[in-house]
Amino acid sequence: MTPRNDCSPAGTLFKSVVAAAGALLAAYLIWKLRSLIVPVAVSSLMAYICRPLVLRLERHRMPRGLGIWLLLVVFVLAALFIANLVRSIMPTEIGALELKVRAVYKLNEGYKNLMGLDQSRTRGNWIYGLSQGELDPKVYQINRLLALTQEEHTQFLASRPRGPEAPAGSDRLLDYYRVNLQTLRVREPAALSQTGAVRAAPPAVAQTPMPALPIATLGHILSTWIIAPLIFLFLLRDTGEIKGGLLGTVSNRLFEPALAVLADLDSALGDYMRGIFLECSLLGLTVTLLLAIVGVPPRWAIAIGILAGATNVIPYLGSAVALAGGLAYALLADEINPLLPMVNTENVAIWVIAAVGLAELLKNVFYEPLVLGGAVKLHPLVVVIGVVGGGILFDLAGVLLAIPMITVFKVFVSSTARQLKAYGLI
Amino acid sequence: MKKKFHIDGVKEILLKWHKHADLLDTPDPARVLYGPPPETAAGERGRDLVDFFRQVPLFEDLSQGDLRRLARILHKRTYRDGEYIFEEGKPGMAMYIVRGGIVEIVRRKRNGEEMPLVTLEPPATLEELAVVGADVVHWTSARARGPVSLVAIGRPDLDALGRNFPLLANKILKKLAYIIAMRLQMVLEAEYFNEERSPNNDPPQ
Repeated sequence: MTPRNDCSPAGTLFKSVVAAAGALLAAYLIWKLRSLIVPVAVSSLMAYICRPLVLRLERHRMPRGLGIWLLLVVFVLAALFIANLVRSIMPTEIGALELKVRAVYKLNEGYKNLMGLDQSRTRGNWIYGLSQGELDPKVYQINRLLALTQEEHTQFLASRPRGPEAPAGSDRLLDYYRVNLQTLRVREPAALSQTGAVRAAPPAVAQTPMPALPIATLGHILSTWIIAPLIFLFLLRDTGEIKGGLLGTVSNRLFEPALAVLADLDSALGDYMRGIFLECSLLGLTVTLLLAIVGVPPRWAIAIGILAGATNVIPYLGSAVALAGGLAYALLADEINPLLPMVNTENVAIWVIAAVGLAELLKNVFYEPLVLGGAVKLHPLVVVIGVVGGGILFDLAGVLLAIPMITVFKVFVSSTARQLKAYGLI
Repeated sequence: MKKKFHIDGVKEILLKWHKHADLLDTPDPARVLYGPPPETAAGERGRDLVDFFRQVPLFEDLSQGDLRRLARILHKRTYRDGEYIFEEGKPGMAMYIVRGGIVEIVRRKRNGEEMPLVTLEPPATLEELAVVGADVVHWTSARARGPVSLVAIGRPDLDALGRNFPLLANKILKKLAYIIAMRLQMVLEAEYFNEERSPNNDPPQ
């Protein structure tokens, strides 16, 4: 007797049609419910990462449910810590005004020094000669963007401890404020004449504050993210039912190949997820430590480190965020407290660049080979195209999930082909 | 053609160790290599998986909690009459426990004809090697004779069990090693007894 097929040609055709219809329906649902993709994916991936921890707790006689709740409590505490940290570094209303004043001043001073500008701001060195047509309007735009509204002017002046009429040199921020006003007055006509947009240009002082986040948008975000902890809980509660359900849908002749493919997927995705999680954590920690060493205050260093670690999920973005955050602080800071004696306010930007460069070097030379050594490797071109393509199709969700999805797809295709060939099915 | 199993030798060995030695008069004696016959086996007949596992020699050392955990990760499969469970020469990724029905083990001869080796009934286990070793290839085929229901244990399932619950996995692996070793011993000794009793080996008078 020779092996026979599981079903007739008509049955196979019916199954194929049903499978194709199912795939189309799944694609339609994914597209319509794409706002749920990020919370579902993030909670699923977190559950996947945490699964070994729950199993380890269970092995040590802790009931599975209790272990899951313990993990959830740890996550909530971590979220509260991060929220508290973010709130502590978020400036108050007056602090935000002061930050704007300082940022405009530092930007204009840096531009003035780089271009060798005189008091009229119309004559400078050779660099200015080459680039003024391009850069002057941009700097003017940033000035306008950061300029205080009429109401903010009043608030800022009222907040000064020595009053709005304090003499020069007694209140540094007030000095900055006066210089900013003078710079805007001087720069405005020149910049507008270069852009040729005199009539279209609004006045130098901003009139309207930034629009607040609409309540409806906030409600939408909350309503979609509320499912995240539920998915996290249910996936961790699963003790094999999902895998069993998946395997239950395959025919008997595909059962053993499907077992092998699922094992390959589990291994590849597990290695990748745990590896990337560890790498992001290590990068965040390194950025935090190095920035603190070069003089960035600890709470800012921690915030930049967390942000850099979180965004490192998207390749190359973590270090870019660390650099942007560190440089922003270095350019705005009036005072720093570095652990290295050679760092001062004049050269802190260079040290920040060096610190982020060192963190990137450590990531590439040590962390990646150490924690991602056995994981699936993707070509950088695939990574870039995948991230950009994912962003175009699914916005932030696409950017965040492009790499895990490409990894799963690559392993699925290669493992399926290998197993089907081994079982003589292709 | 030389017979695959020499029953007399097998009987003697089984009498020494097998707790189901009273079953040796079965019409299909090779079955005792895999498990007791249906009269003593727990079929499906309304019992749940954990109750069934209690009847499986492979799991006889496991506690109720262990059996419940196993029941959650193992895969129930059903086969139609004549359907192949696995085929000779294909990679092995899972071992099976017969839960209901009759499974026929066959091996293909060089001329392509299939030679039946043994029929298995609940709660026999088969293809244990597939979950123990890597790159295992099925050396026989298994086919359903009538409707059959099985419980499958994948190699990845046992690997995961080893990572997450090493004590449980260790109990199963020890039992597997014991079963495999006893089968090897039985076959070897059957061959040995057979040679000793063979007229060709008798000393000349």
